[in-house]
Amino acid sequence: MIKYIIKRLFQSVLVILLVVCVVFSLLRLMPSDYFFTEDELIKFTEAQKYAKLERLGLMKICPTCEGTGIVNDEACHDCRENELAAKGTGYVTRSTLAQLGDFFRDMLQVRVFNAKGKEVKSIEPLTLFSYLSQKMKTGENPFGELKEGQYTRLMFNMGKSIRLEKNQYVTDVIASKMSVSMKIGLLSLAVSLVLGVVLGVLQARFKDKLFDHIGTGYTIIVKAVPPLVVYTIIMIVGASLFNLPMRYDATAAKPWLTVVLPVICLSVASTAGYMLWTRRYMVDELNKDYIRLAKLKGLSDRKVMFRHVLKNAFVPLAQYLPYSILLTVGGSLLVETFFAVPGMGPELTTAISRYDLNLVQGIVLLYATMGIFGVFLGDLLMTLIDPRIKLTGKGDVR
Amino acid sequence: MKKTLAILLTLAMVLSVAACGAQPSETPDTPDSTQTQTQTKAPEATPAQGEAEPPVAAVEGLTDLNTYETKARELETWNIHYSQAAADLNVLCNLIDGLLTNDNHGNLKLNAAKSYESPDGGKTWVFTLNEGMTWFNKDGEVQADVLASDWATGLEWVLNYAKNDSYNVSMPAEMIAGANEYYEYTKELTESEGAEAVKALTADEGSKFAEMVGIEVDDDAGTITYTLVDQLPYFPSVATYNCLYPLSIDLIEELGVDGYRDVTWENMWYSGPYTISYYEYQNQKVFTKSPDYWNDANCKRFDTVTVKMVESASVAFQLFKNGELDHVSLDQATLQGIYNGTSDAELKENLVEARPTKYSYQIHLVYSKNLVDSEDPDTNWNTAVANENFRKSLYYGLDLTNYFARTNAINPLSCQNFVYTGNGVAFTSDGTDYTQLVLDELGLDYDYTKYARVDADKAAEYKAKAIEELTAKGVTFPVTIDYFISGSSDVAAQTAKVLEDIFATCLGSDYVVLKTNTYVSSLANEVRKPRKAAIYINGWGADFADPINFLGQETYNDSAAYYSNAYSNCNDNDDPDLIAAYQEFTDLVTAAKAITNDMDARYAAFAKAEACMLNHALVIPCSYEVGWELTKINNYSKVYSMYGMQAYRYVDWETSVTPYTTEQMNENAAAYAAE
Repeated sequence: MIKYIIKRLFQSVLVILLVVCVVFSLLRLMPSDYFFTEDELIKFTEAQKYAKLERLGLMKICPTCEGTGIVNDEACHDCRENELAAKGTGYVTRSTLAQLGDFFRDMLQVRVFNAKGKEVKSIEPLTLFSYLSQKMKTGENPFGELKEGQYTRLMFNMGKSIRLEKNQYVTDVIASKMSVSMKIGLLSLAVSLVLGVVLGVLQARFKDKLFDHIGTGYTIIVKAVPPLVVYTIIMIVGASLFNLPMRYDATAAKPWLTVVLPVICLSVASTAGYMLWTRRYMVDELNKDYIRLAKLKGLSDRKVMFRHVLKNAFVPLAQYLPYSILLTVGGSLLVETFFAVPGMGPELTTAISRYDLNLVQGIVLLYATMGIFGVFLGDLLMTLIDPRIKLTGKGDVR
Repeated sequence: MKKTLAILLTLAMVLSVAACGAQPSETPDTPDSTQTQTQTKAPEATPAQGEAEPPVAAVEGLTDLNTYETKARELETWNIHYSQAAADLNVLCNLIDGLLTNDNHGNLKLNAAKSYESPDGGKTWVFTLNEGMTWFNKDGEVQADVLASDWATGLEWVLNYAKNDSYNVSMPAEMIAGANEYYEYTKELTESEGAEAVKALTADEGSKFAEMVGIEVDDDAGTITYTLVDQLPYFPSVATYNCLYPLSIDLIEELGVDGYRDVTWENMWYSGPYTISYYEYQNQKVFTKSPDYWNDANCKRFDTVTVKMVESASVAFQLFKNGELDHVSLDQATLQGIYNGTSDAELKENLVEARPTKYSYQIHLVYSKNLVDSEDPDTNWNTAVANENFRKSLYYGLDLTNYFARTNAINPLSCQNFVYTGNGVAFTSDGTDYTQLVLDELGLDYDYTKYARVDADKAAEYKAKAIEELTAKGVTFPVTIDYFISGSSDVAAQTAKVLEDIFATCLGSDYVVLKTNTYVSSLANEVRKPRKAAIYINGWGADFADPINFLGQETYNDSAAYYSNAYSNCNDNDDPDLIAAYQEFTDLVTAAKAITNDMDARYAAFAKAEACMLNHALVIPCSYEVGWELTKINNYSKVYSMYGMQAYRYVDWETSVTPYTTEQMNENAAAYAAE
């Protein structure tokens, strides 16, 4: 088992690295104009554009002319734009490989915080490598003596946001948004899991009765009606009948009240999903021989339903549970946009549309990690609930 | 054992991955409500028996204002010098005090400066600062005194090529003596010595900046003296804009140059009426009244102003109905629903027509355009648009009433605009709005009962001439007019459909066809740069109070002319008649610009130039933005400036705890007109 886990972990890390490399390279294929705002494109001189691209690591000062654009009174051959140019630009494009090298080199970073948890030194990222080498050489802290209450932290560094939250660390942006999305996501997962499974069990128990039909009707309606319509109805009903706040507000007198409508909206569809699958797996199990035998042996319906049927029917659902938990990190694009929840949901699409490269990379890396580990943990969880399932060698047939 | 191990591993992994994101969110800094209420609550006055009801303006107002922005208008930077975007400046103008601001009539009003004067008719301007102004952090803790030298530090920052990426350079570079030279100096130095050397430059005494740039400061006397390139009587209006905002050298020392460029609401220094006590990107900003504000006795402020980010206008409307917002601008569907009584009819008595925004919208014609699907020139369009009769057929033929109705379904003609320069930017000595001079030159007049410019007979006449002349030049009809909208905007798509119908109905689809195309995300990259569009409809808002700020954007062969270079590409069309028309207009602008000692003569000359531009139909005036809203804010009490960045300053606003009725707002308007 441990051997299997180590193998899967190693494979997962490899896949994540591959995803990072592919995304990083694809983003670097974009024309450089996309790194500028509309205003900047109009106002910036060519020299300013090059300087900005250098700051972003896409270009470097031409080593031949050292940025002057002139070599021996002639236009520098390495950085001139065309044959007729009287002067080179002073900058040359850096290869994607070199940029990727920088990304991995700077991936871990030491940062200094004060007692209040505010970053004290964040202007230039200090890589772990340079931090350690300097410390080993001189024995001194490269940040100088830390003041009382200050402390250092080794952290992931994925660069700074260049558009959305200008010059804020991508890791900080993601961390603050993840916490909001997870809070709402986990609440809604708990609500939908409990409601969905219980209602699904009841549907299976009263199959083809009124309750089953109502449940099926609910599932069909939720799946068929566009989510925005459902959210609008929930918002209007919630606000007008129950006086619930219509948008997320961490500064409200009762902040928990502002998450009620987003949680309900998130739970509506997933409850229907859990109902649907619980009912379906339970109906499957109910027709199996061991259930008939249990009934013949005189076990009560409740015992049969919960001790035998639900336990086995829950196995396929359990596989997706860790994945669902981790997926809460990603938030919901629609719900978070609709209720102004400052979570992860709209972040990726907004970052893509505004060409915030570092943020896109960071979020894609996060999602890839969550996806891969979610599946892995789901597999592990299945083996717990159903011991017949083996992840190594041949397992028993279910 | 195996089972236990697997359970532990699964739990540990889920929890550890989840914990990465579950950082405790920082507790927002909420204002000390008891203290602020005590400080600001107006004494309660109950009208005595038999006393008349107080006028609307005196209604007990809101102490906390809840307003909103749609998600596309989120702030991008907290650095006031490093931004030219309205979304940023609407916030930042509340946090730092400039020398001057505007009142609710658009007049200049003293702010950080207690007086200003020009001893020599407009070439030198001396501003004297108020005493007792301080810089403070977000918690209101005093960090330093506001000094006259902070204005020199701010200007040095703006003009320094390596520090501010050329944001806001154009105005000081054109107006302040030596400013452009200093900017060029830092630019050359960046190229030869590198950015770090240039970042180290300061505005200290004896510095290159002090030697080159026409600004002198005296911290003891609190005076700032600007020496300009010429007599510029409108210069004080520039003092309301962020290019002349202060910056403390102590803050630069604390954060470093890069640190200040990346400044945030948490580490910036404030000197204005509000600080930010809470900010969550795409969620909300909370402005809290600055404690110990130097001008507290002379201005009325809210305890807090909360700007909520909302997904759309319809969500904002729901929030307003639920009492979570204090005003809302209405989209066409909601407005018509209320007005026609089909939905929320009870709100009809609260419908209020907004005041025009500062943007004057124009139909910009593109004179050098490429084909949509290739990089080849669109010869058919380029030839047609260079023909004056063709342009005039559009100018006189297009009845845009239905287009205006997209913004103002009740009074669409409130949106009509016949001139290029915005209303309220400049006034003659007798108080006449500059735009009236242009209308007089054009022989037009605003009349909200009819669309004065539209003349079907004239349009038909010009159309016939254009067809004859252009057919001889090989132009084929109908001429396709490529128009671009964002592919993700349903509203833009519906508006474009209305425009298509207008072109077809007014001019005939055998003559021109408006073809709507879409871009994915960047108008500049996907449309403007590759020159794909034939027309743009754009609004321009002035930065300072002079017509040159409008007309200077359209001049010929002028690298500083924004629209000529970025939109119309007029410099690249070689039609001699078009060039002659542009040259005539440019010469008139140059002549008007040279008049600096007589403002009436200057405005008259500009009006002549503008009329020339419009008579040649080089640009077609389109509209103002005049929508409808439900509001608890007296629109006539707010800063109302048709230039600059002061319009969103939440100072001296009158409000009501219930939404104003149409009648009450009309009374406010009448009282305002009588002031």
